[in-house]
Amino acid sequence: MNTSELPFLSAGDLSRLIQSKEVSPVEATEAYLDRIASLDHRFNSYLTVMREQALADAQQAEEDIASGQHKGPMHGVPVAVKDQFWSKGVRSTGGSRILADFVPGEDATVIANLRKAGAVVLGKTNMTEFAITGFSHRYATPRNPWNTDSYTGGSSSGSGAATAAYLCATSLGEDTGGSIRFPATWCGLVGLRPSWGLVSRYGVMRGVWSMDTVGPISRTVEDAAITLGAIAGHDPKDRYSSTVPVPDYRQALGGDLNGLKIGVITEFMESGLVEPKVRQTVSDSFATLGELGATVEEVSVPLSMDAGVASAVLLAVEPALAQQDWIKDQLQDYGHDVRILLLTGSLLPAQAYYKAQKLRTMLRQQVLDSLEKYDVLVLPTSGKGAQPLEQDPPITSKETASRLAFLFTRIFNLASCPAMSVPCGFDDRGMPVGLQIGARPGAEETIFKVAHAYEQATAWHTMRPPGA
Amino acid sequence: MADLTKDEIRAMGHAVGLEIEDPELTEVMYSLNALLESLDAINPPGLNDVEPLPIILPPA
Repeated sequence: MNTSELPFLSAGDLSRLIQSKEVSPVEATEAYLDRIASLDHRFNSYLTVMREQALADAQQAEEDIASGQHKGPMHGVPVAVKDQFWSKGVRSTGGSRILADFVPGEDATVIANLRKAGAVVLGKTNMTEFAITGFSHRYATPRNPWNTDSYTGGSSSGSGAATAAYLCATSLGEDTGGSIRFPATWCGLVGLRPSWGLVSRYGVMRGVWSMDTVGPISRTVEDAAITLGAIAGHDPKDRYSSTVPVPDYRQALGGDLNGLKIGVITEFMESGLVEPKVRQTVSDSFATLGELGATVEEVSVPLSMDAGVASAVLLAVEPALAQQDWIKDQLQDYGHDVRILLLTGSLLPAQAYYKAQKLRTMLRQQVLDSLEKYDVLVLPTSGKGAQPLEQDPPITSKETASRLAFLFTRIFNLASCPAMSVPCGFDDRGMPVGLQIGARPGAEETIFKVAHAYEQATAWHTMRPPGA
Repeated sequence: MADLTKDEIRAMGHAVGLEIEDPELTEVMYSLNALLESLDAINPPGLNDVEPLPIILPPA
């Protein structure tokens, strides 16, 4: 195989070729670094490329594999990681000018785990400022490989762009209100928000402690499975991390969906926030799930459309408290929409925060009750495909205060449940559309099974963005 | 509920050690009023009977 073709392999296929010694980790890493050097000016997906370290790690992986010490499916696989994660000796900005010169003394556990698994970290990916809004970038704005005049979705925008543009084999994002699934759906990728606590958050710049999760953004379901397998597991440095043993998620892939019950959340499908073509595309995916053997029924989650408001309160208040010193001393160093969000969060009354948490309790119970009857719940990830890039507009009325009402991810963040976005077609503009699959806490394997069956029954994951 | 005015927003900021002036003041006013209005409109039956539980702890 021509080495320039290596970046277009899935991480799973690349992994198998590395294990069989048909491809060397150094070849693969060099191929990705060459693509980044020649193409990333179109996409702005990386904030820092770790060329020398990546080549050294790839060389080490090659030597280990040659000596019979293969560490598993991520060994030698080139990965990109969001700049929200500490990286030892490497600038970690969190997408903010405030941390432009911050160089951590240790790796976040997710990066340490990737290294333990033998993965090669290519660099740190671009993101919205501190991952607390969907749009504001303090460095260059990432561009969507499906249409470089369109936005990628955020906050893990660079991980989305890099993965879709074949500038890494797989990547890590962080999802507080949808920041993995949002770029995954808009960039035509697979993105998984794991169960809260499944993946350590040590060394992850904080958004909302009860909602933050780290997970994969990948080109295939298998790639997401092997990426998650490398980073999940208990971490003594994160007291809230799960102690449940991590399975090999690849074991969940394959087979039909006979016997599975799938609930379609009606409130989202009937919402005026879903464009007609998106509704049709996602409805078609439900039909495919039925053809694969699942029983597909409608289910009502009455508070589901209120998830956006309840989570918006939490997403404003908690970062404002965590960053209160910077807000007082460096307010003008923040980008426009983050500045307004943090000031808003600083002033929200305690009663509002308390009510939002009570609504969360009720919503979570409704979700969990539905998941007693259904193995997974499905809905569109977003009511719209990727939107054209625009300047961060000022808020000129109450009606223009929210820019993310069409994003349907937050129901699972509030419910502490895992959820995945998987490509299911295209909108009227030819931009990708995502099917969202949520399950009860700890049921990642069920999500992988459903998503993989759907993926293998369709061809969406085989399509290349024209810009890549 | 009545919208908060700029003067009220400014006073709330002062109470938490923030001196908020335009152009931020106007945008924060819209942002805060929009959020409070949306939240005020959500009153499902039984809300007063639930506790504000932020998470389900992962299995030990």
